[in-house]
Amino acid sequence: MTAATETPAAVTAVPRASGAAVIALARFETRRLLLRAPVLAAFAVYIGWTVWRTRTSWDGFPALQDADRATQGGPLLVGLAVLFCANHAVLRSRRHDTDRHLDVLVVQPWRRTVAHLLSVAAAALLTGVCVAGQFTWEALKPGAVGHGSPGELLAGPLSVLVLGTIGVLLARLLTSPFAAPLLIVLLFFLHTVATAPDNGHTVRWLVLTVGENTATTLPSDLLGRPAAWHALYLTGLALTAALLAVLVSGGARLRTVRAGVVGAVALTLVGAVAQGQGVSRETTEARVRASAAPEKEQKCAERDGTTYCVFPEWTVRTDDWAEAVAGVRSLAGGAARDRPLLVRQRIEARYGLDGDAAIAPATRPGQVTVGTAWGGNRVPEFTAAVAGVLVAGTEAKAGAMCDGRMVTVMWMALAGRPDPVADLRRVRLDDSDRGSAIVLSQTEPLRMTAAQTELVRELLRRPEREVAAKVKAEWAGLTAPKVTSDQVAALLGLDEPEEKDECL
Amino acid sequence: MPWRAVGAAGVLGLLLAAAPRLTGDQADGWYALTVLRASALAFALGAAFALDDPARHTTAAVPTRRAVRHGLRVLLVVPVAAVWWTAALLLVPAPVRPPVAGITVEAATALALALAGAALAVHRGDGARPGRAVAGGLLAGAVLGPLFAPGHWALFVPPDDERWAAAHDRWAVLLCAAVAVAVVCATEPRRRLGRRGLRSPSGTSGPSRA
Amino acid sequence: MTPTVSASGLSLRYGGTRALDDVSLRLSTGVTGLLGPNGAGKTTLLRVLATAVPADRGAFTVLGHDPGTSRGRQELRRNLGYLPQTPGFHPDFTAFEFVDYVAILKEHTDRAARHREVRRVLDEAGLGDVRGRRIRKLSGGMRQRVALAAALVGDPAFLVLDEPTVGLDPEQRMRFRELIARAGEGRTVLLSTHQTEDVAMLCHRVVVLAEGTVRFDGTPAELTARAADRVWSSAERDPGAKAGWRTGLGTFRNVGDPPAGADLLEPTLEDGYLLTLDGADTEVTA
Repeated sequence: MTAATETPAAVTAVPRASGAAVIALARFETRRLLLRAPVLAAFAVYIGWTVWRTRTSWDGFPALQDADRATQGGPLLVGLAVLFCANHAVLRSRRHDTDRHLDVLVVQPWRRTVAHLLSVAAAALLTGVCVAGQFTWEALKPGAVGHGSPGELLAGPLSVLVLGTIGVLLARLLTSPFAAPLLIVLLFFLHTVATAPDNGHTVRWLVLTVGENTATTLPSDLLGRPAAWHALYLTGLALTAALLAVLVSGGARLRTVRAGVVGAVALTLVGAVAQGQGVSRETTEARVRASAAPEKEQKCAERDGTTYCVFPEWTVRTDDWAEAVAGVRSLAGGAARDRPLLVRQRIEARYGLDGDAAIAPATRPGQVTVGTAWGGNRVPEFTAAVAGVLVAGTEAKAGAMCDGRMVTVMWMALAGRPDPVADLRRVRLDDSDRGSAIVLSQTEPLRMTAAQTELVRELLRRPEREVAAKVKAEWAGLTAPKVTSDQVAALLGLDEPEEKDECL
Repeated sequence: MPWRAVGAAGVLGLLLAAAPRLTGDQADGWYALTVLRASALAFALGAAFALDDPARHTTAAVPTRRAVRHGLRVLLVVPVAAVWWTAALLLVPAPVRPPVAGITVEAATALALALAGAALAVHRGDGARPGRAVAGGLLAGAVLGPLFAPGHWALFVPPDDERWAAAHDRWAVLLCAAVAVAVVCATEPRRRLGRRGLRSPSGTSGPSRA
Repeated sequence: MTPTVSASGLSLRYGGTRALDDVSLRLSTGVTGLLGPNGAGKTTLLRVLATAVPADRGAFTVLGHDPGTSRGRQELRRNLGYLPQTPGFHPDFTAFEFVDYVAILKEHTDRAARHREVRRVLDEAGLGDVRGRRIRKLSGGMRQRVALAAALVGDPAFLVLDEPTVGLDPEQRMRFRELIARAGEGRTVLLSTHQTEDVAMLCHRVVVLAEGTVRFDGTPAELTARAADRVWSSAERDPGAKAGWRTGLGTFRNVGDPPAGADLLEPTLEDGYLLTLDGADTEVTA
């Protein structure tokens, strides 16, 4: 045993240091909370899963108004772990019977509760950093368009805060260790009930995060989601739980705490009511305008003989579209090569994000419809639509087309792509490259017969230059209405197709 | 025997099972299935505390074998569970009720996993009250299982899916495995496995040193 | 010597029982021992003086602070070190973390200074080399020392120790005595114990409590002197003795009113204590 020759001057506590003591205790509790196995595991799963998904999300062309919503799911896992561990931490002195000892120390129990709440806030802050990282990654992708919403981005960290404060409150109310697991099951259940599709708007938004089961992207002003009010509601909920926990652990004597509880409850109610109002009239009208008469909202730009009329957030993508159009045009022959095209972006926003209605094909000559998504399968679908319009004249006629012209259309759509046969599979509904199938597009799908598929495959095997020269030379014959597949084969110097040539 | 935990869990489970009735006839098969799964999970969480014994160390040297003591507790829990589960099934309206055999296998597996986890925790760690840790593990499994289980195992499919029967064969396998683990861990360890010596001197007065 | 702790008329009821009945005492610097049978109210008195529970009646001041007011109580707690009976621990904390936690709760906010202080008290308690070990891996004696270190952190002027040596072997108990004796220099230490040797070795004053009232308040020598000429040895159990038991040598040691011509023995503190309890307890026979 070391004998100190001179006891160093003892440390005396400075009066009015209670705030600093709470901060010191909060640092202590934060370190313990963030190093607990469930929290670490939750963060690991959350970060790992997010990184894995964000690598290939939206094929590299995210719309930021979708990316901000995508940050909301992962933090719920972290929130549950924080609930469990914060509950455990507050019950620690009860479990090990140290209350007798700790209650006579200077820092009162309600201040200890505040320290636990601050540790939960630190976990929420860490979640916020992860959310910011995920969103920044999406925003920095070269194909990103649109605007994110701060309210949506805050929902994830605020959910962690709400769940953590509820865990602390529960520990102060019920000292049994089985309360927290049962509460988690109850919360799961309430979430399922509230998000059942038949429920009204008000109930639906009472849960922590409201997802949209959709792959549609809309302009950010048409979304109709009360993100900011929801963030306010979540803040109110977290503050209510936190202040109630302080109240219950002995802070009831302080007037500020009592007033704070009342204020927090009021905040929560304001948020809950405001977020439950449903889609506002202005948004509904804007949605109708954008769907029925988009030309009033859109900006037009011209590139190489093609006009692109798009919603304001998508103007940065014009170059990508122009590249695709140019690729198809270069393979066309005859007058089609220089025909002026109008690429108009169209959406169906009248049913909000849930709507999945198809867009009617354009009947104006030379108009191609493009959607809000890009990358991956959307690119060959677009080039197929462009090729269809170049050959058939209008989108409506291209959809109705079922003759040998499809061979030319599909070859033009795919030949310029880096991996044409793979794109052929992706653009068809059943992911096949043999037999007849439907070709997906933004509006009406196109149809290919088995014979046409065989011819297209054969063409894609030949060198592109050779086929391009033939196509340009025989353009008139290839694009004559009602030309059969056999005739097309003959014009292009291919064997007659063996497969059937019946339209679906 | 911590009846409060089991009781609270049972009450919550019954409340959950009654939910389709309470929300009127908007319920469909998927909803009823989710509700019953949540109920089963709730009861299993309560059962995870069934082997909690604050006096375990004090009563470590009694002649009654651990297998008998644990078996007695399980014997008390299982009939209660059976009655409770019947009540839960009856609370779900008959039209939307999922196939009884399948969902019962799932519920029995959840219960068996909870008891096996508790038995394992006592066997390996000799803790007096492993309930909370087991409950946490069970919750983690319930949350991460649907996220990460391979799709072709199809453990969490709706009842009208054609893979229901095959999936429930796999559930039955899981049930047997959990029961086996519980039985094996119900005995007291004969030897200290491996070179793991006494892990902590908590039961000793320790060497008298500075 | 001016008293550092002055209590007067402390009374407390638990349900139907009177745990403390009009207890008054004055303590000054040094170690004061509190003796008494189980249920005498020792722990209750210590809890009242440590501000863990308020008394129903009566008042006390510690170092001039009055715990009746909130501010006074906070000031008192800043100068207080309390070691409860069979203290609890957070088993997954390390010894350092636990004492650090208590130090934070005593409002030591400067991190570097606090860590120095924690190391100091752990070294003083002889736990310097097991600082980083988890409490569940420490033996019973070491855990008790961790609790003592936690009580000593911040160098409080008033130490309240409730049965600190229970469950320790003689060597550990000796080390504790060293610690407590050192702590008693310049501080007021109130020590409750069953071990009369501890009181005899350590304390300059002793208070005997029984059924909630003070039976004796004086020096250990005075308590021992009460048993002067009242302890004798005999070959058989003496029915007239208040307490008697067979010693390891085969003879009987009796305490009480000796018959004439009895073989008197040197009294110990325990004998004085037993005689002081006379009338409060049933007869003690072996």
